[in-house]
Amino acid sequence: MSASQLIKKFDIDFTQEVIDYASKFFEDVENVRSCIQCATCTGSCPSGRETAWRVRKLIRQVQLGLKNAAIRNDVLWDCTTCYTCQERCPRLIPITDIVRAVRNIAVRNGFMLPRHVQVAGLMIKHGHAVPINDEVKAVRKEIGLSELPPTVHSYPDALGEVKKLLDETGFTKLVEEASKGVQK
Amino acid sequence: MTDVGGCFPRLFSLTDTVEGVFMSERKGAEKPRIGVFVCHCGTNIAGVINTEELVKYASKLPGVVVAKDYRFMCSDPGQNMIKEAIRDLNLNRVVVAACSPRLHEETFRRAVEEAGLNPFLFEMANIREHSSWVHMRQPKEALEKAKDLLRMAVAKVRNLEPLEVRKVPVKRSCVIIGGGIAGISAALDLADAGFEVHLVESTPSIGGRMAQLDKTFPTMDCSACILTPKMVMVARHPNIKLHAYSEVVNVDGYIGNFKVKILEKARYVKGDACTGCGLCADVCPVHVPNEFEMGLGARKAIYVPFPQAVPNTFTIDRDKCIECELCTKVCEAKAIDFNMQDREVEVEAGTIIVATGYDIFQPYEMYQYGYGKYENVITSLHLERLLSASGPTGGKVIVPSTGEKPKRIAFVQCVGSRDEHFFPYCSRVCCMYSLKHARQIKEKYPDAEVYIFFIDVRAFGKGYEEFYEIAAREYGVKIMRGKVAEIYEDPKTKKLLVRAEDSLIGEPIEMEFDMVVLAPAVKPSAGAEKIQQILKLSKSADGFFLEAHPKLRPVDTFSDGVFLAGMAQGPKDIPDAVAQAKGAAAGAAALMGKGEVAIEPYYAVVNEEICSGCKTCSGICPYGAISYNEDGRAVINSVLCKGCGACAAACPSNAIEPNHFKFRQVLEQIIAAFTE
Ligand SMILES: Cc1cc2nc3c(=O)[nH]c(=O)nc-3n(C[C@H](O)[C@H](O)[C@H](O)COP(=O)(O)OP(=O)(O)OC[C@H]3O[C@@H](n4cnc5c(N)ncnc54)[C@H](O)[C@@H]3O)c2cc1C
Ligand code: SF4
Ligand code: SF4
Ligand code: SF4
Ligand code: SF4
Repeated sequence: MSASQLIKKFDIDFTQEVIDYASKFFEDVENVRSCIQCATCTGSCPSGRETAWRVRKLIRQVQLGLKNAAIRNDVLWDCTTCYTCQERCPRLIPITDIVRAVRNIAVRNGFMLPRHVQVAGLMIKHGHAVPINDEVKAVRKEIGLSELPPTVHSYPDALGEVKKLLDETGFTKLVEEASKGVQK
Repeated sequence: MTDVGGCFPRLFSLTDTVEGVFMSERKGAEKPRIGVFVCHCGTNIAGVINTEELVKYASKLPGVVVAKDYRFMCSDPGQNMIKEAIRDLNLNRVVVAACSPRLHEETFRRAVEEAGLNPFLFEMANIREHSSWVHMRQPKEALEKAKDLLRMAVAKVRNLEPLEVRKVPVKRSCVIIGGGIAGISAALDLADAGFEVHLVESTPSIGGRMAQLDKTFPTMDCSACILTPKMVMVARHPNIKLHAYSEVVNVDGYIGNFKVKILEKARYVKGDACTGCGLCADVCPVHVPNEFEMGLGARKAIYVPFPQAVPNTFTIDRDKCIECELCTKVCEAKAIDFNMQDREVEVEAGTIIVATGYDIFQPYEMYQYGYGKYENVITSLHLERLLSASGPTGGKVIVPSTGEKPKRIAFVQCVGSRDEHFFPYCSRVCCMYSLKHARQIKEKYPDAEVYIFFIDVRAFGKGYEEFYEIAAREYGVKIMRGKVAEIYEDPKTKKLLVRAEDSLIGEPIEMEFDMVVLAPAVKPSAGAEKIQQILKLSKSADGFFLEAHPKLRPVDTFSDGVFLAGMAQGPKDIPDAVAQAKGAAAGAAALMGKGEVAIEPYYAVVNEEICSGCKTCSGICPYGAISYNEDGRAVINSVLCKGCGACAAACPSNAIEPNHFKFRQVLEQIIAAFTE
């Protein structure tokens, strides 16, 4: 990217897009318009102390309509969803809820981190985000458990059902599309 | 005549003829000759509504003799047009279709009266706020609505009755509640103008919060140096009766003639005998945390809150006193009297000024700041006392846990203010006083590091931006843009870790400080609550007293004769509190100077023949205007009554009607609304 990121235009529909989308799941999302950039959120953020994640900036990007900057941003995934910022925001903005909604919008626009694509792929393939391995099998045996847990690992038939569910809900397709974006 | 008996008006149907149904039937009134005057209000009305069309319509309404329009009806030529028409055409009713009656009802009433008509035979149709402004893009519909409004006004004016404005005398005396700088200023202004003033203060001394301050922004005057002379003037002024350590417990009456009951609490020390020598306090063995010092120092059970107190009379705190009577033994003036009783006095007043001030929010609930838990987290008022030469440390600012001078201090702004969890409003004084505090600390300890964490700096007053600039440029105060998120204490060193973000750099901050000063929100004082109930005042959403109009009547209340001054009405600093106090004093003086006040004759009237004495109405009247005579019939005090009509609606016998809004007048108007 060039040294200066001169802004010439805002994506004025982005704010409404986030509000409309997030409002399907969360309350008071429209409060985002009233953010005063007091910075309580970033100041409270345990992730921000370790990473480059600046939640206040995301809220600003939503408020102004900087869609690309908001969704094409790897640090968007560094929020731990601890909800500290949301609890303290003096304008009662559901900050963490908005982070989650923007992540969904990012994925729908084809922006997903490679490691998330990988985890999702495991889910689709094995019915488990973290499938069992030999090491875990050994430990289970050692403490007197069956080698395989009573999940799809033990019931291969059920894997078909899980896959069906993932297809029906559109998850499989979403991950496929997003993985193309990741490759780009 | 339709007989609808006692069921009226609940069974009233709009198709019924109104003739004869109403007890307020107009008997023997002359035939209405109505003039209608339509105002263009420049283009405000005429730019949307076809006024020519409206005039044509008006001239056909029953009873209308003449209809005219003009560019500005409220101008002299406009008013003259009305007056001439009244004289030339012998009009006996006038309707003006223009703006809101709140703006010009008075103007037109006067014009009508000058032409020899009773001013209450006049009605306004608001075709601006209610039509042209709100239907700017629908001119056709706006015209139709204007016709409706005009037709209704004509229907009402036809049924109006002449009324007389009454005058009530106004006593030349004012009760001022609250002896802070606002109450003191108003008291001195009124007393100097020759009015009698009763200044009621609930604590043992006047002075209010300003007495606790060390220096004052933006001029850095010593607070006591500018306040104490005024306090002394209050004590000496022949026209001021000071009721300190007293409370207003009841107010009866109305504008011009209030009867105010004041409870003078027993001090157990005779005011006229006590010389203020303080020998008693020297021997008193009981130590109590000193409220004036924000608990940073101690006082005795017998005390004056601070050395310059007015009145300079000692007071015994009987909750804490152990009745050893050591004080009685040493008091040479024989001033101590353990048998003293609370005393109630009643004073008469023409006006009342409420100046009950503010408290600061104690931010225990904001657990992220550790106030009350971490020793070195204090509030701004604590710091004022630490800065004060007469304070508990003799003016030395110290770290509470060590008693040493601080090397690094952080100020935390907007603690509870501008926060929807607590107080959504801006407290308006804290940005400035924190800049002041930062400068004061730098003056005392030039090598101390001082940081102020703001959301944004609000320095809006005269000389304030300059004050801010000097704090940064000359004193090197660091202005951080970002609200403090949380504070942690190192349990061993008691040092404080402050977390925030400098939003301008966009990076989180984690810094260690010796002490942190919070700037908590201001809120209405605890004493305001009682006064609100006693005077039936309204509050705005922020909890402070509501003024009658934010711009045009900023010191008036909806209770006639009652004014507001200082923080009681909303957050403000000393210059604004004093300016408002002067405004309140001027408002009160205007009423008292004239000696009488005109009361709008819109009060409700009881028809004694119909009143069954059921007593439904007195409980409903929000102004306490209804009582009952020996026969058990309702009687309405026409001065207290505001003509709200609640009693009229509630009376099961329809025995009550408010003047100017009689059943017939209102119902004819409603019928007109529904008949083209
Ligand atoms: C830390 C701090 C620093 C400040 N520094 C400055 C500054 O440098 N410059 C500046 O301009 N402003 C400053 N201010 C603001 C200033 O304190 C106020 O503007 C001012 O005191 C308001 O005066 P007041 O008379 O309206 O209220 P108050 O000072 O609160 O006085 C109200 C009085 O009414 C009495 N009272 C309350 N209820 C009743 C009742 N029911 N009956 C009888 N009496 C009652 C109270 O006891 C009190 O004496 C500061 C404020 C704070 C918190
Ligand atoms: S805490 Fe709330 S108001 Fe403050 S910057 Fe963050 S989102 Fe905006
Ligand atoms: S919810 Fe996310 S953004 Fe908010 S404080 Fe926690 S980690 Fe930071
Ligand atoms: S009687 Fe009460 S006020 Fe007097 S000295 Fe004893 S404790 Fe103090
Ligand atoms: S005056 Fe300043 S510190 Fe006080 S509430 Fe307003 S913005 Fe916050």
